[in-house]
Parts: sequence; structure tokens; C-alpha cells
Amino acid sequence: MYDVVIRGGLVVDGSGEAGVLADVAIAGGKIAEIGQGLAAGRREIDAAGRVVAPGFIDPHTHFDVQLLWDGAAKPALEHGVTSIVPGNCSLSLAPLKAADRKAVVGMFQQIEEMPPEAFTIAFDWTWEDFAGYRDAIAKTLSVNVAPLVGHSVIRLFVMGPAAQERTAQPGEVAAMQDLLRECLDAGAVGLSTSFVDVDETGRPVPSRYADSAELDALCAVLGEFGRMLQVVPEFYATDITIARIDQLAELSLRHKIPTTFSPLFDSRGNADNAPRAIARVEEQFARGARVWPQMQTRPIDLSFSLLRPSLFFARLPRWVRVLRQPLAERIAALGDPETSARMIEDAGPDGGLAMFGSLVLRGGDAAPAELTGQTLAQIAEARGQGCARTLIDLSLEHGLDVAFLAASLGHEDTDRIGPMLAHPLVHIGASDGGAHLASFATYGDTGYLFSEFVRKGHLSLEAAVKKITSDTAEIWGLQNRGRLAPGWAADVVVFGADALARGDERPVFDMPGGGMRYTRDARGVDTVLVNGEVAYADGAYTDARSGVICT
Amino acid sequence: MTDGEAIILDAVVAPGHDGAAELLVTLRHPNGGVETVALDGETGFHLMKSCGVSSAAELPGQPWRRILEGL
Repeated sequence: MYDVVIRGGLVVDGSGEAGVLADVAIAGGKIAEIGQGLAAGRREIDAAGRVVAPGFIDPHTHFDVQLLWDGAAKPALEHGVTSIVPGNCSLSLAPLKAADRKAVVGMFQQIEEMPPEAFTIAFDWTWEDFAGYRDAIAKTLSVNVAPLVGHSVIRLFVMGPAAQERTAQPGEVAAMQDLLRECLDAGAVGLSTSFVDVDETGRPVPSRYADSAELDALCAVLGEFGRMLQVVPEFYATDITIARIDQLAELSLRHKIPTTFSPLFDSRGNADNAPRAIARVEEQFARGARVWPQMQTRPIDLSFSLLRPSLFFARLPRWVRVLRQPLAERIAALGDPETSARMIEDAGPDGGLAMFGSLVLRGGDAAPAELTGQTLAQIAEARGQGCARTLIDLSLEHGLDVAFLAASLGHEDTDRIGPMLAHPLVHIGASDGGAHLASFATYGDTGYLFSEFVRKGHLSLEAAVKKITSDTAEIWGLQNRGRLAPGWAADVVVFGADALARGDERPVFDMPGGGMRYTRDARGVDTVLVNGEVAYADGAYTDARSGVICT
Repeated sequence: MTDGEAIILDAVVAPGHDGAAELLVTLRHPNGGVETVALDGETGFHLMKSCGVSSAAELPGQPWRRILEGL
């Protein structure tokens, strides 16, 4: 008798081949058999009318901290994600000396927007080395974790405060190589670095002080293991991004390693950006280099409040002049009838309906919770005001702490992005799961791939599954994951092909100390198994702790 | 404005990777090359202030070197 049999579903095995109606039998945490009329299992899962696929793999997350108290990386697991890669963008929680914790916490707070309590009440620091961190999270994992080690923390470990002051001496570079080697031996799947990020004081993170010789030396160590280099390039400028693609290609060829960079996104204001970057990637792959651009599926929303000046108003001179003032003067100006009347005049003859009407109240701030999810047009109508007047008054009523969302303003053109996501050299990723907590939800990109791109015909069901399962595992060298085949790890997601999607963004207060984050529920995911155990079913997480550190 | 310097061709607002509004500034260099650079909120407002304008629509035609002023 098998442990589990998933019966009668459309098995889309991650290979890209057409799905077939079959049963999937699981024993000992692995796929035992796929076929029709298989023998009984101790647990039977009816998948009739559903798709049975390998668990999805998310290659770009920042769940490093959350994994210390939440081994499911919620809500990633309920979206069908069974394996995650944390430690991106040069930052991981190990190796890390006790004396350097404060500095790294500041960097994490800058990137993740995690509340301070997450680092003081949610877990005990029990490690300094990478193996110690690995063991600290491994006890309670429900998802599989393939961790990167961050270049910034390696630098900090070896150089101390000088890591954010200067280039490294040859002896320090050699020490970093030894430390990286130790991390890779302990289960790291690669090294992450950043040419962009800053700490909480605005200083460049340590990796940005490295010269090219240091990066080359570290890539030589990656070459000993055949492991990944992940990079955040200067994505704000296409020409620099292309120069980085060339640099990564040289590192890939010299050391025989895969490399990946993120983010890469599409924008109407810079329509050539993604196509040019992908064209350069094609050229470098033709030379034998491996430089995988990561592209997210979800559109980019824009959010703002009047607490801080936002370029959202850059087309409205009177608004800019008011919002650039210091807070006290800004509040006074917004409350001045004459000034606000002129601002409203700027917003158009319809009182700002066209300009502001579709803005959505985000919630999680000082505004009444019942307004969350409503558009400004709806609220304005209920108040008997124009939209611009409502934006100003509602903000003033709550100390300006009212967050507005302009949805899908960037990376939103499905007809442009669909073919890019389908491109064989584009790696679907860059979700940033677990980061930007107080700014937007980084969950549900896999569901969005199906609701927006599969169901609108840009990718077949099988191609989409392959993109986020076996392709990802192959790019990252994750062994025996990403396929449904006998002997492979039984990471499985059962979902409705016409139902899989992401829910609406909403604020929740589930961070340590009651901290807020934005999240999205999954739609259409029935069951998720991790290494053969049911980790999520019927809308609820189970007690399964079958996730592993996977390499 | 001087000969042989980069000029702002266009400036539009777009959402950045972090969900904040950015200014996408398109430049034309003296050699004819055109490129687009994304500026974050602080830098974008700094450019507008240095150029003496209160709207992104007023940026085209301004010299790019103004971004250095006051830094």
C-alpha cells in the first residue's frame, strides 16, 4: 500500500509534455508510480477535474527571518510553492558574528520592512555560522529551502566595519573564499550580491564596496561547486544592466557557473528596456554563458500617502509645491481652503475623478478599516465630495497616514509581457516573497501566471508549469525536484486549471509584535504536498513539517 | 545650456520596483545617443527643484547636468 495516492487528476509532470489523466502514488516521500488504476494508498486524494503538478519553486525570496518562526513561509505554501530560495540581494542571516547582528538587522529592515520585534522576540540567535542558521530553520520547515549566502554578510564577517568602507586586501579575499566554501559545504546553493541596495542609513551595502577581482575570486569558489551567482544590477538604467549582463557572462564562462539577475520588468516609459536586456542575454547564451534574467509575473502597483512627497503628483505643480513642504507646513497648507481649492483646480474639471477616482484605499494605516479596498470614487460619492477633495480631507482627518494604491501602472501589458515570460531564456521569478512587507504583497505571482497568461493564451498549462518547476530546478541545480516522475521528491500541488489565481491584496497584522504586512490569499489551490506529506489542504495548513534544506 | 551636453528629452512618472513612484528621464547625449534613467522620489524631486520646475512636463529641454547641483 502506498502512503498517498492522488487519484484521477490531469498529471502535468513539469516536463512540458501534454498532461495525462492518471493516478500519482507516493511512498517514502518520493513519487513511487504514475499510471492508471494504481493500488490503494493510506491516504487517498481525489483529484478528478483537477491538475496535479510538481510543487512550484520560487527562486527569489527574502524569507530568511520569517523562516525562524514560520516554516511554511506563509502564504507562499498555500499558493502551491513548495521550495523557496532565500538569501537574495547580498543578504542572508549567516554567516554572521554576534557583534554584526545589529548592522545586518538594519539592512534587512530596509529591504524587508520587517518590524523590529521580528528580531527581538520571535527567535533566539543561536548561530554565527551558516550551518547553525541552517539547523535553526530546519527543525520546523514545511517548505523546502534552498538558501543563498549573501556577499554582504560574508564581507562583514571577514572585514567588520571596513566592509562598508573599502575594497578588500588579498588576505581578506582569501578569507572570504574560505568562508564561502564553508557555506556551500553547509548547504548554500550559491552566492547573492547587489550593486544597488542600501542599508537603513542609505549607505551602500557591503557587497557594493567589492572590486571586480573580489567578485571573480568568489565566483572561482562557486565554480568548484557549480553553484549560482545571483545579482541585483543597476536596473534603473538599461545600458548599465547590459554591461552587467556582459560581466555575468564572463564570470559564467570563466568559472562555469550559472548566473541570474533580477529584477527585469517592462515599462511603457522605457519600452526598450526588457527587450534589449533579453536580446543581450540571447547573445551571451549563444556564446555558452548562462545569464538568466528573472522576470516577475505580477504587474507593479504604485502606492503613496501624503505623509511623504510622491512623484505620483509630478504632473501637478500645485500639489508638488505643497507636498514638498515639511510635514507641519504641508498639513497647514492642505488645510488652507484657498490652497486646497487651487490644488483641486489642478486636478481637472471633474474634481479629480479621472485622475484619482480609481485609487484604492489600501488599509493597514490610520484610515477606517471599513474603507479598505474601496475606490476613492466610491468614498467620494458617499461623502458627497469630489475625488481630489476627498483625497485631501480624508488624509487630513487621519494625520496624512492614509495609503492609496494605483494598481497595475507598470509591467502591466499582458500582450508584451506574455511572450517574454514564455521566452526560453527568461526565468520566471523575482517575486521578492517576504520583502517589502509594508509596501505591497509579494505573494501569488504563480497564481497570476495562470490567471493572466495561461488563461489568456500566452502559455499553455504545461509550459507554465514547466517554467516554474523543472526549469527552475534545472537552472538552480536542485536535484530530484521540479518533476513528477518515479524516484523524484513528492512535492505536489493539486489545483483547478480554471480557478488558480491570487486573491486581492489585504493588510494583516501577523508579524511578531503585531506588525502589519500586505498579503494575498491563494485561489484554486486544493492540496499541497511537500516531500510526500500533505502540508496544505482544504484551505488550511496542516502540522506537517516535512520541508528540508534542498540542494 | 552649453554645447555638447546631455539634454532631457522626456520625463514621465512610473511605478518603481519598490512600489514607489519614479521619474523615468530620457536623455539625449551630444553624440546622439538616447538613454532612459529611472530616478527615485528624492532624486526626482531634487532634479525638478534644481531645474526650477514644479512639474515633470516642464523638464524636457533642461540640461541633465542640473541633477548635480546641490549634491
